[in-house]
Amino acid sequence: MSKIILFTALGLGAALCVQAGDIHGKVTCKGVRDSADAVVYVAAVPGKTFAPPAAHAKMDQKNLVFIPHVMPVLVGTTVDYLNSDAVLHNVFSPDACCDKFNLGTWPQGQSKSFTFKKECAATLLCKVHPEMEAFVVACPTPYYAVTKADGNYTIPNVPDGSYTVKVWHPKLKATQKTVAVAGATQAAFEIAK
Amino acid sequence: MHPTAHPRSGALLRGLILLAIFLGLAAPAGAFPIFARKYQTSCVTCHTIYPKLNAMGEAFRLNGYRLPKETEDLIKQKPVSLGSEAYKKVWPDAVWPNELPGNAPVAVNVKMANVYTSSTDASGAKTTVHNDFQFPQEVNLFAAGTLGEHMSFMAELTHAENADGSSGTEIEHARLGFESLLGPDHAFNIRIGKFAPNLYAGFQEMWLMTDNGVDSLFNYNPVGFKGGIGLLDDAAGVVSLPARVRGIEAYGVLNHRFFYTFGAMSKIAPGANAPVSGAEALNSTGSPNGNFNNTTHKDVYVRFDYKFGGMGLDGDTDGVKLPPENWRENSFRVGVLALKGNATGVDFLAADANGPVIDPIDGTNPYHQQDTSYTRTGLFASWTFSDLNVFGVYLNGKDTLELRSADNLTLVSTNDRTYKAYFVQADYVIAPPFHVSARFERLTPGDTTVQPLKVSNLNFSYLAAANVKFMLEYNKAEQAGVGTNKSINTVIRAAF
Repeated sequence: MSKIILFTALGLGAALCVQAGDIHGKVTCKGVRDSADAVVYVAAVPGKTFAPPAAHAKMDQKNLVFIPHVMPVLVGTTVDYLNSDAVLHNVFSPDACCDKFNLGTWPQGQSKSFTFKKECAATLLCKVHPEMEAFVVACPTPYYAVTKADGNYTIPNVPDGSYTVKVWHPKLKATQKTVAVAGATQAAFEIAK
Repeated sequence: MHPTAHPRSGALLRGLILLAIFLGLAAPAGAFPIFARKYQTSCVTCHTIYPKLNAMGEAFRLNGYRLPKETEDLIKQKPVSLGSEAYKKVWPDAVWPNELPGNAPVAVNVKMANVYTSSTDASGAKTTVHNDFQFPQEVNLFAAGTLGEHMSFMAELTHAENADGSSGTEIEHARLGFESLLGPDHAFNIRIGKFAPNLYAGFQEMWLMTDNGVDSLFNYNPVGFKGGIGLLDDAAGVVSLPARVRGIEAYGVLNHRFFYTFGAMSKIAPGANAPVSGAEALNSTGSPNGNFNNTTHKDVYVRFDYKFGGMGLDGDTDGVKLPPENWRENSFRVGVLALKGNATGVDFLAADANGPVIDPIDGTNPYHQQDTSYTRTGLFASWTFSDLNVFGVYLNGKDTLELRSADNLTLVSTNDRTYKAYFVQADYVIAPPFHVSARFERLTPGDTTVQPLKVSNLNFSYLAAANVKFMLEYNKAEQAGVGTNKSINTVIRAAF
C-alpha cells in the first residue's frame, strides 16, 4: 500500500513538473552591440485572463539613467518612477498606446506613478534630459522575460500548451512564432533591423 | 605713358620657385586615424597606402564616413546621445535628436622632408640646395566624423613651413555633409563649406599616394601671364582648376555604380581679388585654391561617372567576387567633368610677351585683365587590375580674356585662349608595405608661342606601419624657354 502511495505521489509530482514548464533559449540580435533588452513574452493563453498585480513595479532615475532600461509588466500594472538624482526629472511618453502621458517634474526622493491599462510598448523619456530613455512593455500575460547581453532568457512557470511567443526590441523589428510548450522548452529567435 | 617690361631677377625667380614648390602646391594630405579609433580597425581597411583610398575607403567617404550597410555593432566607440531616438516622435515639440562622436574626433598628420632642389632658369643659371631639412614640412590637424544618421563633418587645419623658414596656416577644409536626404541610401547628398569638390574624385588628395599633387591641373596658370603658362605663374594665384572650393555640392551614387555630382562655388577664377600692379603681383603668394571672390557670379560644375567591375561605389558587393587583399580588384571607372565660370570684375595681371606690363613712371600696371568666361571639360579614367592602378585625366580649357584700361575700364581687346592638359599615373603594389608610382603630366598653354610644361614624378613608398610611411620621390618640371625644376624629397609621414 505504501508503495502504491509512493508511486502515485511521484507520478503526480512528475506530472505537475511538466505542467509548470518554462520557455528558455536565446534571442540573437543582429546589428546592435549586444543581444540585451529584447522582451520575449507569451501573447495569450486561451481561455485565461490575468489580473494585474497589486504591487507596483518600480523604475528608478539615477545618474541620469532609467533603471532598468527595459521593463516588461503585465497589462494593468502600475509603475512607480522614482527620482534618485539631485536634479529634477520628468517622465513622459510620446506613444498613443499609453495615452501620451506626462507625469510632470519632481525632485529627488519622490516618485510618480502611471498605470499601463493597455498592451503597449511605451517609450519613456525625460524632457529635462533628452538622452534618457527607457521602455515599459505592457504584456497581455505574466509570462515574459528580458534577454541578457548574451541573448539568453527564461520565462518560468509556463503551462504546457501551444502559444504564440512574441519578441520585441527597442531598435529591431519584432518577430513571433508558435511554440509548443511541454516542460522545459527551448525557443530561439533572431531579429534584425 | 608707355608700358615696359620688367626683367626677371634671379633672386625673384629663385624665391618664387621655392614658394611654388613649398607653399603653393596642392600636396596630397588626409588620412583620418579618427576612424581607425572609432571602428577599432587598421588604416589599411580604407587606404591602399594612405592617403590613397581603396574601393572600401571610397565607399566609406561617399557614404559620409559610414561603412557600407553600417550597423551600430560595427562602431566600437559608442556615440554620445544628444536625445533619444524617440524624440523624433515629438518634433517640433522638442529638438530633433542627434549624436556626437564618442571621443574627440581629432587626428594629426605630420610630415618631415629632406629636400634636394635644383632650379635652372632660361639663361642656364642654376640654383641647387642639398639636404634642406624641412622638419616639419607640414602638420595637419583633422576633425571628421558623423553627427547621427544623416550628417557628417570634416575640417583640416594645415600648418606648412617653407624652405626659407616662413610658414603659413590655412583652413584647407571645413565642411558639413548631409547624407541620404532623398530616395534610396546614398542617392542624394549635400556638402557645404570649403572642400575638395567631387569634381576631382579619383585624381586629387585622397586618391594620390605621391607627395606631389598633379600640379599641371591644380597649380599652373594656363592662360594668364604671358598669355600662357610659366613655372612662376602660380605665384599670382592663377590656376587651371581650384584645388578646393567654397561652395555647395550635391552628389550621389545610384544603382551602386553610377556617380554624379554638381555644385556651385564662389568664383575661384584666374586672377587676384584686387587690381594688381605687376611687381606687387609677382611678389604675392600663390595658393592652390586660386582666388576666392565675393562677387555675385558663381562657378558651376558637374560630373558623371560609371564604374564597371569591382566593389560598388557605395560598397555594394552583391554578385561580385573580390579577393581578400582589399587593394585588389578588377575594375574600370570612367567619368566626364565640366566647370564653367565667369570672372568678370576679378582683375589679374596683364602682361606682354616679356612679362608684366608696368608703367615706368609710377610702377603700376595701366591695364586691367579679366577672365570673363571660362570652361573646363575633361575625361577621367581609372583602371585597376589586381595590384596595378592606372588613372589619368584629359582636360580642355577655354578662356575669354578682356583687357581694359586701368583708368576708365575701356575695353582694349578681347582674346580667346584654349589650352589642354593631361596626366597619366600608374601605381603598383609590390607587396603591402612597398609601393611604386610613376606619373607624367603635360600642359599645352593657350598661347602657342609658349612651350608646353612637362612634369615627371616617380615615387617609391614604404609603409613601415599602417600609419607611418617613408617616401622617396623625384619630380622634374620643365618648360622650354622658362627653366627646369628638379626635386628629390625624402619624406616620412605619420598619422595618429
